[in-house]
Amino acid sequence: MEDNTVFVREYNETEGLSYINESEILRYAGCPAGTDEPDEAVYKLLKEVIEELKGSFSYRVCYRRMNVTWEGGMPRFLLKAESSDLARCLRGSSEAILFAATIGLKIDRYINKYRRLSPSRALLMQGYGAERVEALCRVFCDDIKRQVSSEGLSCTARFSPGYGDLPLESQKEVFALLDCSRRIGISLNESLLMTPSKSVTAVFGLGKGIGHENT
Amino acid sequence: MKILDYLKEHTVYLDGGTGTLLQKRGLKPGELPERWNITHPDVIVDIHRSYYDAGSNIVCTNTFGANSLKFDDHELDTLIGAAIENADKARGSSTGKQEKYIALDISSVGKLLKPYGDLDFEDAVSIYAKTVRAGASKGVDLIYIETMSDSYDTKAALLAAKENSDLPVFVSNAYGEDGKLMTGASPAAMVAMLEGMGADAIGANCSLGPAQLRGVVEEYLEYASVPVLLKPNAGLPRSEQGQTVYDVFPDEFSDLLREYVLSGVRIAGGCCGTTPDYIRETVKKTSDIRPKEITAKNRTVISSYTHAVEFGDSPILIGERINPTGKKRFKEALRNDDIDYILGEGITQQEKGAHVLDVNVGLPEIDEPKMLKKVMFELQSVIDLPLQIDTTDITAMETALRRYNGKAMINSVNGKEEVMRKIFPLVRKYGGLVVCLTLDEDGIPAQAERRVEIAKKIIKTAEEYGIDKKDLIFDTLAMTVSADPNAALATLKSLNIIKKQLKCHTSLGVSNISFGLPDREIITAAFFTLAMENGLSAAIMNPNSAEMMKSYYSFRALHGIDNNCTDYIENIGRYASVAVCAAGSSEASETAAQDKETGSDLQRAIVKGLKEQAAALTIEMLKSEDPLEIVTTQIIPALDIVGIGFEKKTMYLPQLLMSAEASQCAFDQIKLKMTDSPTGAVSRGKFVIATVHGDIHDIGKNIVKLILENYGFDVYDLGKDVPAEGVVEVTVREHAPFVGLSALMTTTVPAMEETIKLLRTQAPWAKVIVGGAVLTQEYADSIGADYYAGDAMATVRYAMQQQENFEKKKSNI
Repeated sequence: MEDNTVFVREYNETEGLSYINESEILRYAGCPAGTDEPDEAVYKLLKEVIEELKGSFSYRVCYRRMNVTWEGGMPRFLLKAESSDLARCLRGSSEAILFAATIGLKIDRYINKYRRLSPSRALLMQGYGAERVEALCRVFCDDIKRQVSSEGLSCTARFSPGYGDLPLESQKEVFALLDCSRRIGISLNESLLMTPSKSVTAVFGLGKGIGHENT
Repeated sequence: MKILDYLKEHTVYLDGGTGTLLQKRGLKPGELPERWNITHPDVIVDIHRSYYDAGSNIVCTNTFGANSLKFDDHELDTLIGAAIENADKARGSSTGKQEKYIALDISSVGKLLKPYGDLDFEDAVSIYAKTVRAGASKGVDLIYIETMSDSYDTKAALLAAKENSDLPVFVSNAYGEDGKLMTGASPAAMVAMLEGMGADAIGANCSLGPAQLRGVVEEYLEYASVPVLLKPNAGLPRSEQGQTVYDVFPDEFSDLLREYVLSGVRIAGGCCGTTPDYIRETVKKTSDIRPKEITAKNRTVISSYTHAVEFGDSPILIGERINPTGKKRFKEALRNDDIDYILGEGITQQEKGAHVLDVNVGLPEIDEPKMLKKVMFELQSVIDLPLQIDTTDITAMETALRRYNGKAMINSVNGKEEVMRKIFPLVRKYGGLVVCLTLDEDGIPAQAERRVEIAKKIIKTAEEYGIDKKDLIFDTLAMTVSADPNAALATLKSLNIIKKQLKCHTSLGVSNISFGLPDREIITAAFFTLAMENGLSAAIMNPNSAEMMKSYYSFRALHGIDNNCTDYIENIGRYASVAVCAAGSSEASETAAQDKETGSDLQRAIVKGLKEQAAALTIEMLKSEDPLEIVTTQIIPALDIVGIGFEKKTMYLPQLLMSAEASQCAFDQIKLKMTDSPTGAVSRGKFVIATVHGDIHDIGKNIVKLILENYGFDVYDLGKDVPAEGVVEVTVREHAPFVGLSALMTTTVPAMEETIKLLRTQAPWAKVIVGGAVLTQEYADSIGADYYAGDAMATVRYAMQQQENFEKKKSNI
């Protein structure tokens, strides 16, 4: 049911976030998937990075639930931006969840510290941050999936501003609807970049009998 | 009665949530509530009145987001005027009998300040100043800055309030569940900064319910010498049939607030989810309590953007290495704008255990205010230690204090009238802990008693400016003992008297004592121990000195400061022996043994990205070989191995970078050797590099920079978010043949195009290479770049090939 409230959820590393996907981090850092054994020195550096960033993340999500109606194949809901790719993703939904997720500013400080002193360390930190915020999104979406399954609803895949033909400009709308700055401390700059940099905004649909096949 | 007079004798009640009530009255999601001051004045007056009726002394105007980023100047002025009128109408028509005040409500502009966001500090100050000016003249009793989640943003707002009105200012921050602001500041750090700047009341609001804010409130009460305010949410929100409900009800809320008022909170109200009922209950349950007296805490505290550092029994270590005096390499870094070197000095000192960093960038030939501002900004973007601003240039001092994120140390004032009259007004305005040198117009007195006299005079003069002696720290001046056998005694005696009799904190630049003596560290460390025994609160010292750190940990253990000698045991091993290089080279030989197939040990160390080994092996090799020879026969071939591996995709980006960093370590050793000989390395040419205006992501650019430097280019790194004019200025000044521009986002590619256009007219000789996530060959062509580089190696190859072409042309002529 549509709701005026923006909810905030905080997570810690015991809730599905304890597993660190190392090959995913290496992939983000430019070692393509399927690479054999990672180089020993790189792997050692990765371990150091993980150790150094221990306890530096604060996992927060803010979200709201909204009704979706359909008009000529396009969804009508609080997010006004027009996008046929988004329409395809949300197909069959009667509601949607709009959310923003972040792992906090601390990692940006570390990246900032190392990007000139040790770009390799900064690079792996970038990868680690990307892996963490993705993990957070997954945990959050699984949470919602569980929650709405009791209402007989299932979820579509998620879709973010900047994907396909949904313009990055729509970030402004997302920020206005979620009040991200005040809720979980994400702000949007003139170039539509988010700070903290390891943040994600996205929307996904809820409906009866829909699944991930329309990803 | 004025609000501050009323506050002296009474608990003051603020209002409750407005947003929640406006939503109930029909405010739509995304609609700007400030406009309701004009479109729905009756609703606004009604809400305000209901709070006055419930017993609120202060109602905050409906101007939470009224700033010039959201409204044009005219609308802003009109909205704020209407908002104040609405509050005034409510005050006039309320049945409440209590004293009633109106606060001009100001909250964050919602953009993050640099370095993490893109809003400049001074721009933020200007935005807040407009709101303050629009409201201050229209009959409000105070300014209430609230729900601020970043310390720097809070400083900007408070500064604007102070500079544009004489009204009292209350400042309230929003803390997360971790008890910190969104950008990391602790309550103690906020107390230090806000009190230093003259906030009249401080505290916390929003984000959490009263129970979760307990730790935050306790910290405020422990540190603050001004009234503490609390305006929590009605607990946490949840949804019931599409309606937001909060989980703490008026009864429980007011019980909790009663506890807080009993423990010393002087200003109470509610935030999100609270209604007039919450305020009414709170007033009812607390009005019988005699307000707890506000006492001066006399704590000497400075702060950074994350934490406070308090001066007490345990000596504070102030790192002295960011200072060009007597340091050739540091001077060179200042002249070349080599910020990385300066940052490196800062980071090393932090790792070695410094609590505060002294920052001195004074050189006759550089623009000190500009350099200090820049260095301080860069330091504060990577190091979370408080800084001590060390300059005799008053403009530089003010520039730095104004922009410092936190409460700084100020180095220094002395007994000279002229100096005190210049520095104290700055301390009054921006806050700070001032180092006071016990010298005056007649120089440094030889006798301890005279130094104490000067200290007394400084305390008295500071008082005239309302600066308490807790914010003064006395340096009784360590003089060279080899020149005067009584030098140390006079310093220690005056130090002792100032600490024990005047009850003030003390500091010394301890290293001065040993000028002209051999093995200086040993006697400096002994003096340091004596000074600590005589009451030294802080030392400006070199944290890289093992002898100094040994004295520090030993003193603490012997002085009952280090329980169970925990810190001593944990740290002393680092200083017991120095064998870093040895460890490095043993590992290197191990590597060498494992891997015999290609090249020398040094080459392998570079290929494998082993930094310490690369440095150690270079040092070893330099004993017998020519530096340039090492570059051409060892380092460059090693880099080529990695470069080719990267191009063939048998090696990947992290490896490329680690090798580059390892070769950097080797280069550093070679440079050290070469500064002795005047010839220097042959440069492949100047390369200006920047991330374009609007873009703040620069990891790609930094990668390219590193690889270029490895290949012998002189790289002028202008940083990120660089306007076209900035790129052109340096390209023209250096007559650089190459310019590299990076952009991450489609939204910043136009800035890249603009930069290229300007370069074509001002620096037509320059080859422009572009790169970045969104760029493609087509894109690069369409904006008129000379070359699109897909990665760092491509940039190097292109620049080297162009260089060869230049050379050929030259030889043809």
